[in-house]
Amino acid sequence: MRIPSKLSADLKALFEPQVGVPPEVDRAVMDRAHKHFAPLQSGKGRRLRVHWSWRIAAAAAVVIFAFSLDLTKQTGPATDRFSLSETQATDIDQNGRVDILDAFKLAKHIESTGPAETEWDINGDGLIDRSDVDVVALAAVRLDKEVL
Amino acid sequence: MNKITSIILAGICFIIPVLAQQSEQDYSTAQPGVRFALLHIYLDSGNRDLAAYQFELKAAAGQIKIVGVEGGQHKAFKEAPYYDPAALANDRIIIAAFSTGGDLPKGRTRIATIHLQIAGDAEPQYELKLTVAGNAEAKEIPAEITFEKGE
Repeated sequence: MRIPSKLSADLKALFEPQVGVPPEVDRAVMDRAHKHFAPLQSGKGRRLRVHWSWRIAAAAAVVIFAFSLDLTKQTGPATDRFSLSETQATDIDQNGRVDILDAFKLAKHIESTGPAETEWDINGDGLIDRSDVDVVALAAVRLDKEVL
Repeated sequence: MNKITSIILAGICFIIPVLAQQSEQDYSTAQPGVRFALLHIYLDSGNRDLAAYQFELKAAAGQIKIVGVEGGQHKAFKEAPYYDPAALANDRIIIAAFSTGGDLPKGRTRIATIHLQIAGDAEPQYELKLTVAGNAEAKEIPAEITFEKGE
């Protein structure tokens, strides 16, 4: 199909950019873009990235090392007995001194299933049992006895 | 590159804690003049049954650390006795035990063994004091406490 030359000229005039980009400007833009991204493509850019990777790795190592010191620190011996700070030892025989005989008397009393004094529930769990004996015994061997 | 960095980081994560722990162990065992010893504690209650005891041990001289406590020879005191865990790595300890069983020792019996770490060449001196000994009725009885050094 042939388009009339007048129609072709009109369409060209209608859709052609009004302001064209001169090739010099286009080249200048492209040159600046290449200059800007050139270091990342070059060996220097790779060195920079490696350099930063090592810095990050070193920082991570320092943080991990700091944490590992805490992780490897030897903790004190574990005990499944009661924390003495949460309980108060009782002088069962009321001789003014808390020693192993207090724990022993309490243990004997529990075994004999005789009437128990409510104040012998040393740990306050509502029961008078072996755990109360342990609390009294641990109070007896406690190194800092100024609280007793 | 990222893969290599990840491998290095992972290696650091695993190696550093291991090295730190290793160096700590090396330090504790590589100190000059450190040795381990046992101290056997004996109690003589004469012809009375021994049902309970409590004593205190401390170093009068020398550098010691208490590192462990064992029970005694008689089955009434075979279990590990009571002691304050804070005494471990310390040079002072209070130890106590009792038995509500019927079979109780008489005479001289080993009631406990203490494991010690001794630093330096000086022979440590110990101060041992019996706080109380009791019979099956939980009454205080006279008794004599002694110790023997072991290896």
